[in-house]
Amino acid sequence: MKDFFRQNGILLLVIAFLLSVLIGVLSFVMGGQADPLSNLVNTITAPVRGGVSAAADWLEGVYGYVFRYGEMEEELKALRAQVGKLEEEVRQGEEASRENEQLRKLLDLKERRREFTFETAKVTARSASNWESTLTLSKGSSVGIEAGDCVITETGVLVGIVAETGINWSTVSTIINTDTAIGGIVTRTYSAGVLEGDFSLMNQGKLKLNYLPEGAQLVSGDEVLTSGRGDMFPSGLPVGQVEEVFTDPSGQTRYAVVIPSVALDSLIEVFVIKDFEIVE
Amino acid sequence: MTRRDLIHKWLAYALGLLPVWLLDAYILPRVPLWGTVVPMLLPLAAAAVAVLEGAYAGTGFGMAVGLLWELTYPGGFGGQVFFLALAGMVMGAVSQYALSQSFPGCLICSAGVLGLLDFLRVGRMLFINAADLPDLLQVAIPEFCWSLVWTPLVWLLFRSVYNRVGGTKLA
Repeated sequence: MKDFFRQNGILLLVIAFLLSVLIGVLSFVMGGQADPLSNLVNTITAPVRGGVSAAADWLEGVYGYVFRYGEMEEELKALRAQVGKLEEEVRQGEEASRENEQLRKLLDLKERRREFTFETAKVTARSASNWESTLTLSKGSSVGIEAGDCVITETGVLVGIVAETGINWSTVSTIINTDTAIGGIVTRTYSAGVLEGDFSLMNQGKLKLNYLPEGAQLVSGDEVLTSGRGDMFPSGLPVGQVEEVFTDPSGQTRYAVVIPSVALDSLIEVFVIKDFEIVE
Repeated sequence: MTRRDLIHKWLAYALGLLPVWLLDAYILPRVPLWGTVVPMLLPLAAAAVAVLEGAYAGTGFGMAVGLLWELTYPGGFGGQVFFLALAGMVMGAVSQYALSQSFPGCLICSAGVLGLLDFLRVGRMLFINAADLPDLLQVAIPEFCWSLVWTPLVWLLFRSVYNRVGGTKLA
């Protein structure tokens, strides 16, 4: 009987079962922190991830330079025009800010400010599964990154939320992932809702703005920002634009499909907001 | 076969697994088919070794692949270790007693393990009411087909390892 078990791998199967239970219990108990086994393996494999990612980024760059040169030149022209337009808007904005500051002083209001503590990190891996949308970053708990921290691009656009951290790595649940839920607001109408990943939209690279107020009159192209409700996440981070508004199959609530502003498949470097203070 | 031969043999299989893992975890997710579909190569590796080496080795290799999957990919909850160990055992036994230890046998076993994995995922998603069946099938079917396309490459890789160190060749 013992030989039968040995020859057919039943003992190995029992070990596999126990390992499964151990990993399951550890990941349940540890919450946002990676379990010790995953932490160890991912810490050891971090240089491999970094190396492969650097090589792939370099190859993508070479490919882009060789095969998409014309396209990139066009993009550069469009960006130059956009920079000119934005510079003009900045000049107007500075003027408005100065005026706003003076009026606040006159009314004796607290100075408005947004202070973020950032940590830059490289994207070293993208989700290897079709069932979720995640990113792996090159930094983790050793520099103070925690589960629940917001991740943004260099232009401040929301990428996602840190889901799990290890010593020198962390995983980010992107805004289109099904387990993401964050308060959102439409700037034009001030309609608030909940930004949630939806499985059917995830593969199209989109997400939902759920539980919209009944009278919300949204149109395609409306800008969506984080609302900052609950003070868990900073307010005012750009998320995307409304594509279309639908009524839930139950007929009770309305939701908008949002196209994210971030290009998740071409991210190389991101910023993790470790701490923030916003006075509106 | 001495202990040294055994270590040599499984080190060779581990080295064979390395490019498959790198491809699966870090390279193919950068170039998804039709912009969205990424193949699953690790179950194919477990299937190939189980078909070549039989039930016992299939269980052990399946367990190792499952561990790699759980520990290096985000979002794991432990189930893959047991699932791939069990799948390795079943595939090894089926190829030994019912199918042949050849590429068609590996293809059938790979289809079986991929199909079962996707079936379980779809079942889980339906159970937690995460999406409707048509939406889930839109992901599961292309994933299954695109993964299966990689079977010949994975088979050839492990077949070449087997030809050098597999079975009792080192004995």
